[in-house]
Amino acid sequence: MTRRPFAYIRFDGKRLSADRSTPGRRLRIDARCLQGEPVEGAYAHVCALPDPDAALRYDEPEVQGVRRDALAWWIPMLGDDLICLSTFALDASRCGGAVTVATNPRHFDRDPFARLFPGTVVRTDLFSPVAPPPGPVVERYSGTPWPAGTFADGGPPGVTPARRRGSRPRAAAPERPTP
Amino acid sequence: MSESEVAAREGEAFDLSPGSHFPDLELPDHTGRPRTLSEISGGDPVALITSRGWWCPKEQRYLRELCRVQDEFEVAYAKLVVVSVDAPEVQSAFRAGLGARFTFLSDHERRWLKRLPLCEGTDTLHDPYRPAAFTLFPDLTIHAAFNGYWYWGRATMEELRLEMREVTRAIRDDWEVPEE
Repeated sequence: MTRRPFAYIRFDGKRLSADRSTPGRRLRIDARCLQGEPVEGAYAHVCALPDPDAALRYDEPEVQGVRRDALAWWIPMLGDDLICLSTFALDASRCGGAVTVATNPRHFDRDPFARLFPGTVVRTDLFSPVAPPPGPVVERYSGTPWPAGTFADGGPPGVTPARRRGSRPRAAAPERPTP
Repeated sequence: MSESEVAAREGEAFDLSPGSHFPDLELPDHTGRPRTLSEISGGDPVALITSRGWWCPKEQRYLRELCRVQDEFEVAYAKLVVVSVDAPEVQSAFRAGLGARFTFLSDHERRWLKRLPLCEGTDTLHDPYRPAAFTLFPDLTIHAAFNGYWYWGRATMEELRLEMREVTRAIRDDWEVPEE
C-alpha cells in the first residue's frame, strides 16, 4: 500500500483513463485498484457523470446507504466476477460516484451505486484485483475514497498500542474525517 | 501461515488469555475469498466472535444482536468478525438472512479448530467452535475474552461497546481532541 491511499482516474462520460493528460473529470479512487496486475478485458460500471457539479456529500444518507448495500449484498452477488470497487472522492467530503469492475457485466443493472449517479459500462484494462472491504465499516479513513485507506499508516496492519502511542497523526488535518 | 505450517504446528497450544496474541487466522470468508485476520483488522480494533453455526437457536439470537450493533461499528472504525465451521456458501446465506454486513470466516475444514482451545467437545455431531468472543488490538493482542458456552456468558452488546472504547482509546493518539 502506498503512503497515499488514493490515485486519480479520468472519466469523460464514455472512457476511463489513468493518463493525466487525458481529458475528462479527475476522480480519486482506491489506489490499490491500479497497483496490481491489471485484468484485461474487464468491465467497469462507472456510476458517475463528467459534469464537475455532479457530487454528493459522503455523509448523505443515500451515500451511506449504498455503501451498506455494497457490503450486504452487492459484493456477495458479484462473487468471483468482482475485480475491485471504489467510490470516487472529489475532496475531503464529497463523493462523485463509484466504479465496480468485474469480469462480467451481467449484474450491473442491479448496482446500488447507480442510485447515486447513472451507470456507464466501460471496457477497460486498467484495474487489478483487490480484496473487497471486510465491513462493517462504511466510514472513510482521512478523506479517502471508500474503501481505501487505513489508520495503520500504510504499513502492515497490526500496529502495537505501544508504538501507536506518541506517534504523530498520519492524516493531514484538513482531510481528517470526524471520528 | 500456510496449511503445511498449520499442520506442522498442530497440537501446539495457543494461549487465548488477555495479553496474548490471537493467531492470524487465514480462512476463506463468506464469499470464499481467502482472508487473514490481520488484513480484516486493517489497523482497527476487532471484535472476534466464534460461533457454533447457523443451526443453533442461540447463535441465531446472538447474531441478530450483533446485527444491531453493526450500525455502530460501521461508523466507529472497528471490525466485527464471526468464525464458524459452516461452509462459505452456508455462511453467505445465513449472513444474508440476518442482514449482516460484517465478515464471516469459514473454518469448514476445521484447520484452526484443531489447534485452538475453542472446540465444543460436548457436541460430537457438529464438531463446532464453542461460542466465545475476543476483543483485539489491531496487532491481534487480546484485550478481553468471553466464554459463551452458556448463553449468559456471552459478551453483551454493551460489553462490546465498552471494550471497543478501551481499545480505541489505547490506540488512537488523538482520543483527546488535538489542539489546533
